[in-house]
Amino acid sequence: MEAKDDPAGMGSEADLAARFLAAIPARLEADPHLVWRGRHLHTRCMIEIGTTRFLLHVDGGRVPECRSPLPPLSSWDFAIRGSVRAWDGLWTAVPSPGWHDLFALSRRGEMRFEGSLHPFLANLQYFKDLLALPRTRGVA
Amino acid sequence: MSGAPIEPIVGRYAHVPILDEACRVYFEEAGQGIPLVCLHTAGADSRQFRHLMCDEEITRDFRVLAFDLPWHGKSYPPQGWEGREYRLTTERYIATVLAFCDALELERPVVMGCSIGGRIVLQLAHAHGDRFRALVGLEAADFQAPWYDTDWLHRSDVHGGEVCAALISGLIAPQSPALHRHETLWQYMQGGPGVFKGDLYFYRVDGDLRGRLGGIDAERCPLHLLTGEYDFSCTPEDTLRTAQSIPGARVTIMKELGHFPMSENPARFRHYLLPVLGEILQSQP
Repeated sequence: MEAKDDPAGMGSEADLAARFLAAIPARLEADPHLVWRGRHLHTRCMIEIGTTRFLLHVDGGRVPECRSPLPPLSSWDFAIRGSVRAWDGLWTAVPSPGWHDLFALSRRGEMRFEGSLHPFLANLQYFKDLLALPRTRGVA
Repeated sequence: MSGAPIEPIVGRYAHVPILDEACRVYFEEAGQGIPLVCLHTAGADSRQFRHLMCDEEITRDFRVLAFDLPWHGKSYPPQGWEGREYRLTTERYIATVLAFCDALELERPVVMGCSIGGRIVLQLAHAHGDRFRALVGLEAADFQAPWYDTDWLHRSDVHGGEVCAALISGLIAPQSPALHRHETLWQYMQGGPGVFKGDLYFYRVDGDLRGRLGGIDAERCPLHLLTGEYDFSCTPEDTLRTAQSIPGARVTIMKELGHFPMSENPARFRHYLLPVLGEILQSQP
């Protein structure tokens, strides 16, 4: 419990955004089962890391487009908006209590889900696993 | 000659009247000694306690029993279920626990429940404490703030098993072994339509115990509350707040555990549970 008010990570917004771009779609493509689990999913979602925004086009479990900054007049089905602290905590190798899950973060006010949430909830474990891909892994 | 390993768990069915309805209740048990009745979490079943029933250090002194609530696991719903929405109420839950203990003629058992099972343990302590030797609430509190809309759990355009499991997956500690994490999720994937949501009616609507736990005698019936530090549904703060209103309640915050301690990381959980059971054993009248 002692680390609860501190996500214990060290990333800046720029670091986290770079980590996100490095992981998606490369780490997704390296996990064919995760792609398969999203095979019926077609949606556009906006992921916000602090003030940095990404537009993800998910097509049959793949992410053919991950754009930042957003093109003019972009639209999306739903958005996941997280603070820098939220993503920093979530992506540490072993997240601290309260920083370890999207809903833990929303409960503590560090993350928000907005828009038409059906594709998000109907494919929730897919999105949880997709958005965990930038997590720091052990020494490779 | 050596056969395949066979666990000591035995499963049977008891015909138990609950609120004037005939219910066929599946239960498993192992061990001998003080009856220890285990209550599973919402939307799951008695498999969550399989590790306790195979732990000789526990079954040496305790007769561990775990039943599937009607609508769960191998306990069918009662006749006529198809014509109504399932909702677990405080009245139904209390009646079920007491009817099961009566049906098996258990003498002053210990009851240990997790999540909704932990909440009902508080109600048992409040209203029926004299019937029990001790009570153990896992992930238990008098109230927890909702963190999602339960309508998502039961609708025709979302797979209920998948969304239930995905929602609760974050309540498992990241340190829990993959084998046990995914067994725990599988329980949720197998729940009947609307059952998890119906259980949460008790949790969210009917079972708010704030300010209603006066008069619990933790001297006569010891009350132990154990909560995992990664549980953001029933947080350690929720449990500590609850315990403050119950003189004599004992609280343990469990490191590297979440909302399903007995199921998600049985080896770590026993480290916290064994001292509690040891105390109960020592205080046996």
